[in-house]
Amino acid sequence: MFVIGLQHYLVVGAILFTLGALGIFLNRKNVIIILMSIELILLSVNVNLVAFSAYLNDIVGQVFALLVLTVAAAEAAIGLAILVAYFRNRGSIAVEDINLMKG
Amino acid sequence: MTALIQDYLPIVVFLAVAAAIGLALMAAPFFVAYKAPDAEKLSAYECGFNAFDDARMKFDVRFYLVAILFIIFDLEVAFLFPWAITLGELGTFGFWSMMVFLAVLTIGFIYEWRKGALEWD
Amino acid sequence: MTIAALFFYLYAAVACASAFMVIAARNPVHSVLFLILTFVSAAALFVLLGAEFLAMILVVVYVGAVAVLFLFVVMMLDVDFAELRQGFLQYLPVGALVGVIFLVELVLVLGTWAVAPEAMRAIQAPIPPLDQVSNTQAIGRVLYTTYVHYFQLAGVVLLVAMIGAIVLTLRHKENVKRQDVGRQIARTRAMSVELKKVEPGQGI
Repeated sequence: MFVIGLQHYLVVGAILFTLGALGIFLNRKNVIIILMSIELILLSVNVNLVAFSAYLNDIVGQVFALLVLTVAAAEAAIGLAILVAYFRNRGSIAVEDINLMKG
Repeated sequence: MTALIQDYLPIVVFLAVAAAIGLALMAAPFFVAYKAPDAEKLSAYECGFNAFDDARMKFDVRFYLVAILFIIFDLEVAFLFPWAITLGELGTFGFWSMMVFLAVLTIGFIYEWRKGALEWD
Repeated sequence: MTIAALFFYLYAAVACASAFMVIAARNPVHSVLFLILTFVSAAALFVLLGAEFLAMILVVVYVGAVAVLFLFVVMMLDVDFAELRQGFLQYLPVGALVGVIFLVELVLVLGTWAVAPEAMRAIQAPIPPLDQVSNTQAIGRVLYTTYVHYFQLAGVVLLVAMIGAIVLTLRHKENVKRQDVGRQIARTRAMSVELKKVEPGQGI
């Protein structure tokens, strides 16, 4: 109970990942919340990477977590830029309307 | 590991004090302040006429562009920290790998300068 | 060590609860604020794991920049958020089903896993003891030499994000007179002053 091992951190990562995936399903109309859910999922990945890095005593996990952070920030910037461009063209952020390419 | 966590004890104390003061200041009006609300007191104050619309205004998109460019250069600086403190051990290769990284981002910086993304209008 | 365990439970609980509020809050501004709380708690967990540098980067980059970006977008788009909430209950059964299946799968994995004995021998760069080499220094020793390709790739990702954001959102207003310092300086007397011989009584 009072010795915190790898298992505990993996459980936290699993809960964060599940909440992120659940958020994508529940807020299907609100793209901003979907993007935040993706950030949660990437955070859970980082928790896993850092936990394994500390457990295996290998710094590479933290290096990779740093790269995941970079990609997540770039993803948020581009995702929100697409959202802003879409809002400017359509006047709304309703994702259901993004079906112009559908056959 | 325990020594490392002990180094962070001041931050925990700081957070505890900040949370205590913040909560106390937020809770105090509920117990201390004199309350007698009515409809006119609670309505928005707009010299003589009813409020036209929501007080929340739309932000300008240009703020967003500045924020994005800030994120990119924030991360660039984040990559500079470990480089700066290990530069003595890295040798020439480490030095030039960071120079290439900075050059790549400088290309982006020149691009945004030429496009006028830093101009306000 | 007990105190460290207590702090782990505190921050893990705060992280999970605020992550739940991110997806459940009615107001997107509250969602962003709970996202910030999640990131701060995760940074505290990283500190407990000994990954100081990542914890600081999480606070600086995420709380300082990404969350502010989300806040900007929420405030910039003047959207009726109550309308966007519609369908929350409609999607709840499917979402809850998927979430429960995810969680059960992950718990099943967590219940039965074991670290392969080869994993301990496959270590690429062991973490030096913290009292001799700080965490940031340990990262710096491998990031710029052994993993130089990933590092350069991160630079390219940032470049693409920068250019993409500019291409997608930059629209200059028409008919705005801008100052062009180069043109101002390059202007000579011959370019801007013209002498006209004006006949008396006729005008130009």
